[in-house]
Amino acid sequence: MQWFDAIIQGVLLGGMYAQYALGMALMFGVMRIVNIAHGDVMILLSLIAVSLAGVLPVGNVGLIVVIVPIAVAVGWVLQKFILNRVVGADPLPSLIATFGLSIALQNLMLEVWSADTRSLPNSGVASASFQIGPFYVGLLPVIVLICAFVLTGGLDAVLRWTRFGRGLRAAAADTEAAAMTGVDPKRIIGGMGSIWGAFLGAMVLGVAQAVGLRIDPGLGILFGHLVFLLVLATRPEGIMARKK
Amino acid sequence: MSTIKNLHVSRATPSSRIAMSLGAIVLVGLVTMPWWATSGNIRWAIELCCYIAIAQMWNLLAGYAGLVSVGQQAFIGVSGYMLFVLAQNFGVNPFLAVPLSLIAPAILAVPTYFLLKRLDGPYFAIGTWVVAEAVRLGISNIDYLNAGAGLTLRVMTQYSQHEREVAFVILCALLLLTTIGGSYWLLRSRHGLALTAMRDNPKAAASQGVNVGKLRFYIFVAAAVGTGFAGSIYYMAQLRITPAAGFDPFWASMSIFIVMVGGIGAIEGAIIGALIYFFADRLFGEYGSAYLIVLGLLTLIIALYARGGVWGLLQKLGDHPWFPVRRKLIVEE
Repeated sequence: MQWFDAIIQGVLLGGMYAQYALGMALMFGVMRIVNIAHGDVMILLSLIAVSLAGVLPVGNVGLIVVIVPIAVAVGWVLQKFILNRVVGADPLPSLIATFGLSIALQNLMLEVWSADTRSLPNSGVASASFQIGPFYVGLLPVIVLICAFVLTGGLDAVLRWTRFGRGLRAAAADTEAAAMTGVDPKRIIGGMGSIWGAFLGAMVLGVAQAVGLRIDPGLGILFGHLVFLLVLATRPEGIMARKK
Repeated sequence: MSTIKNLHVSRATPSSRIAMSLGAIVLVGLVTMPWWATSGNIRWAIELCCYIAIAQMWNLLAGYAGLVSVGQQAFIGVSGYMLFVLAQNFGVNPFLAVPLSLIAPAILAVPTYFLLKRLDGPYFAIGTWVVAEAVRLGISNIDYLNAGAGLTLRVMTQYSQHEREVAFVILCALLLLTTIGGSYWLLRSRHGLALTAMRDNPKAAASQGVNVGKLRFYIFVAAAVGTGFAGSIYYMAQLRITPAAGFDPFWASMSIFIVMVGGIGAIEGAIIGALIYFFADRLFGEYGSAYLIVLGLLTLIIALYARGGVWGLLQKLGDHPWFPVRRKLIVEE
């Protein structure tokens, strides 16, 4: 029973990871670059949201409406002035550029917001929970999980069915010159840069950490890493990679 | 018809002769430090030597073998821990334990490489980070290694400060000789040509008969051992090691910064970068996060506009290599 509970908590934790991973998976899938500053930009936007909450009386849901356009603007600047200059066959420039940006952003945030923990004004959602049988489930993690599911499904649908999505997939295929060498371009999106693959990976990571935590509080994160290495050793093309 | 009377291949240049002489003077200066420098300066010298060695090893990996690792701290940590266990728990002479501790990074590097070799570029980088984090978390959970609290090298108290300093400067000189000298020797050897070819284009190199996979494996293990050597010396000088310090991702950040700013793919670059980093840290370290913002932005700017770093800019002013690896045919008629 305790283990079943660990799996539920792990899946909920995975929902949060899935949201983090979604943007990364899209970038990986289309541009083949790793944005080391991805997490820092995420935290930057969260901190902006927390600061805005103090001055804008729009409520936590209203904040999302405000923060998303800001996120789009930040993303556009990042893409236009940094990422587009380092995209290429050589992975080193993009890795180094985003690494430098990551260090700069982290310390900039430390200067501006200090190292204190901050949170949005509590509207009761964060601490609310409900009971299913013998298990207690937090309301906020469930909302996060549902959002992650909807976002993943939405992005997948956009990539699959719209003209824009087809363009993105073609761009992904072109940079790899995959079509020329006879590799089915679909595999690239379906492989490591897979959208649902990222979702599933996040779930696996969340469950592994939650189970590890139950065994020993010191083992939680280690279990996540070990699962990563295990997947690498047994299925290096990723959990969701399509078979040829 | 004129006949060619004398033909020879030359590699040394006037600049390299000056650099070699200076290098020898620096080494002699380093080894004699306990007799003329203060203890504080010796500590700085040890630190600088470790930075140069770690950065040079990263340069060999990223600059030549095309293996971008952000997990070199794994090898620093394991050899540091190996040293502490050998000296403290098994009673091995600590100075003798330094070379012995290099077994640990070598043993760790082999499975790491075989696990990660299928990944390229960014995937490889992430893989090395995960391995380093897994090793750190693993060691944090081992009670024999005092878990998260770390180990202290108490056996060092049996040596006088002077004895320790003499041993440290000799170890540092050996460290520089093996990492810088070793890299130079490697790049001038037959494998050096293959490595340079790999740096420029791995696929073309493979088509010319370079065994890219095998060479990468050797470089990865050699770099792990070289990095571990620096780690052992560094933590022996610190007298303390904890999982948080020994496996600090800062080591990877520092290597990236030094090599990118100094100039990737050149031995000179790692040395210049280490000197810049070391003195910038001394001069501006007190500004804390503002200093790190500048450091981060500098790395970003170099990745965007000056991929060759400071050494690349110096090369544009004139070709004066310190460690020439090219051969020149000199014809005397």
